[in-house]
Amino acid sequence: MRGKKLTLLFILAGLCLLMMFFSIGIGAVPIAPQKTVQVLIKHCTHPPLSVPVDTTGAIIWQLRLPRIILGFLVGASLAVAGTSFQGLLRNPLADPYTLGVSSGAALGATAAMLFIPQGSISLSFSIPLFGFAGGLLALLIVYRLGRVGGRLPVVTVLLAGVIISSFFSALISLGMIFAGQQLRSIYFWLAGGLALKGWPYVVLIIPYFIVGLLVLLYYAGDLNIILLGEESALSSGVEVEKVKKVVLVAASLVTAGAVSVSGMIGFVGLIVPHAMRIIMGPDHRLLLPAAALGGGLFLVAVDTAARTVLAPVEIPVGIVTAFLGAPFFIILLRRYRDQYRF
Amino acid sequence: MAVGIKIRELCFSYGSQEVLSEINMVVKPGDFIGIVGPNGSGKSTLLKNMAALLRPTRGAIEINSTGIEDYKRLELARLIALVGQDQQPGFNFQVEEVVYTGRYPYKERFRPPAGVDRQAVERAMYLTGCYHLKDRDLFSLSGGERQRVFLARALAQETPVLLLDEPTAFLDMGYQVELLQLLQGLNLREKLTVVAVMHDLNLASRYSRKLVMLNRGKIFARGSPEEVLTRDHILEVYRTEVLLEPHPMGGPPQIIPISPPTGRKGRERGRKIHVIGGGGSATGIINQLFLKGLTPSAGVLSIGDSDWVTARRLGLEMVEESPFSPIGLEQHRKNLGLVADASLVVLAPLFLGPGNLLNIEAALWGLEEGKTVLVLEPSSAGRRDFTGGPGGKLYQRLVEGGALLMEQFDLEKIDALLATGAG
Repeated sequence: MRGKKLTLLFILAGLCLLMMFFSIGIGAVPIAPQKTVQVLIKHCTHPPLSVPVDTTGAIIWQLRLPRIILGFLVGASLAVAGTSFQGLLRNPLADPYTLGVSSGAALGATAAMLFIPQGSISLSFSIPLFGFAGGLLALLIVYRLGRVGGRLPVVTVLLAGVIISSFFSALISLGMIFAGQQLRSIYFWLAGGLALKGWPYVVLIIPYFIVGLLVLLYYAGDLNIILLGEESALSSGVEVEKVKKVVLVAASLVTAGAVSVSGMIGFVGLIVPHAMRIIMGPDHRLLLPAAALGGGLFLVAVDTAARTVLAPVEIPVGIVTAFLGAPFFIILLRRYRDQYRF
Repeated sequence: MAVGIKIRELCFSYGSQEVLSEINMVVKPGDFIGIVGPNGSGKSTLLKNMAALLRPTRGAIEINSTGIEDYKRLELARLIALVGQDQQPGFNFQVEEVVYTGRYPYKERFRPPAGVDRQAVERAMYLTGCYHLKDRDLFSLSGGERQRVFLARALAQETPVLLLDEPTAFLDMGYQVELLQLLQGLNLREKLTVVAVMHDLNLASRYSRKLVMLNRGKIFARGSPEEVLTRDHILEVYRTEVLLEPHPMGGPPQIIPISPPTGRKGRERGRKIHVIGGGGSATGIINQLFLKGLTPSAGVLSIGDSDWVTARRLGLEMVEESPFSPIGLEQHRKNLGLVADASLVVLAPLFLGPGNLLNIEAALWGLEEGKTVLVLEPSSAGRRDFTGGPGGKLYQRLVEGGALLMEQFDLEKIDALLATGAG
């Protein structure tokens, strides 16, 4: 059983690589796979700072590849965060948005864009840091508001999340009124998208993603036990409250990274975890890697569609996630209705 | 490893509401302790304190003479396991995966399960009879199967002490008995110390060696099941009248709730009724009166006869005489005393012999003293008279003296009699 699931995981990883590879060739300027391979080999064997000479090479290396990798990382981050939040709160509706973490991260990033001068180098590094701070602030408030007698009941936590989410969104809107020149950049960033984001953004999100994912994987086994009942988990030696806090903070870290580079992209954090749980089962040691791969695969596919379907017009990726995500989810739900219960 | 738990002056409050107060209790290695008590008496809270899920507001819990708060969670998890009530099969894990989580206190992270882990898990699944379920999903199990899986997981923890919070809730009768027999077996054979919160008093008394009865957060009684589950204790703590019947197969008595509608207060206000009977003639009358909320007295009954058994079971005030002996003067005097206290005297349709004529004399004396005397089945008095004359004459005097006559015992009529203040 476990072997079968590991195989599934490898298949998912293979699909991811294939999807990313073929996405490079798809776009306003179609590129043959052979050419893609050529360019990739050239860049991987030469010093990283070597400047590509031809346009195709530039399209691949400076436009499409970073965008695809960024898409993978953002999708993976959102799905991993969603999986953790859903599991920990035992709520199928929990994701970075319903908990207010995304709004918090967005508020933090907006603040960075408002108060740190445009064009300065520190801005791009400040956005995710501010985002993380904002996401943690939101989580802290939700944690405090939702806490009843030293515990974190699902209902109060979600209620607090919804309240904080709308409050922070209001603050962002207020900030935009006073934004002046930055209004445009804040607006486009908030709308969510992976367009025109090069390697620096990949570099920005990677530490958030890797640190968060490793921490979550470390506690995945504990999380499984907590899901079977908190009291029993405590009595079998799991430090329940500590694990819950660490998981919440790590999931916020991952969320903040994703929100900082791509703004608000919905649906991924909600549907991918469900889809993966249907396929992989509830064991978070396998489910988290599967969610990372599934989320990455999903967002790369969606972003590729978003930039090609109506080319040269790009559809905002959030619209496509909803378009593809909703029917996909319905199909999965109908097919596995009998076996799947949350 | 032998593990003892000592609870000293334990108090626990949720906010300002004190749930447990001044609990002193010792759990010795090898004990099988049932914690009983009505809803809200603090049973589960006490168990949760023992499992270190809650921290005492005051007082201390010591495990092998070390304060429970000085243990790390993992250390404690190797000493005490809990089968709680909060099992959440919200996620579709496989049975074997669930049981394996019991090995958490022994396992290092990312190390695959070792031989000892597999042995412990398989043994736990065998013991609880869920080995054949090991590849099934939790969702596909019945409530009873699921409960056994969670018990297996606690057993896989291989602790010397097992705490259970209402382990038989949601189980049908077959599974209840099966589960408790399993626990009893583990307790006897493996010296597993068991502390279980139980709702069902009969199961608790049958399987526990010691009982602790809680009432309003305090220990109300403790000791053997026979010492703890007395009619008076149950009446006071559960506000329910019960009968204690010997179990046909031996062991502690069975508890049968009877709960007359008037309850105890009604009893105390009720008029005094004295029933004269013997040989089973008064059993139906006594039971009916009792269920109506009245507590009659009875006299003179032969020890061991069925009227005597009935009266004793209900704890009635009665006058008793040695078996097969004629009523002695001493007993007769006592009987007259009860007649004197009563406002109504009921003479059951008893068989008359030379030995119990004094019972009729007592009724007659009551009549002369101005008591209301109810004579039942006067028409069959002749057939019941084995005295060769004197019995019939006494009955005759009762009838002539103005006793109320009734062919069939009718509670409604007696009610009417009492209501009109005929006494």
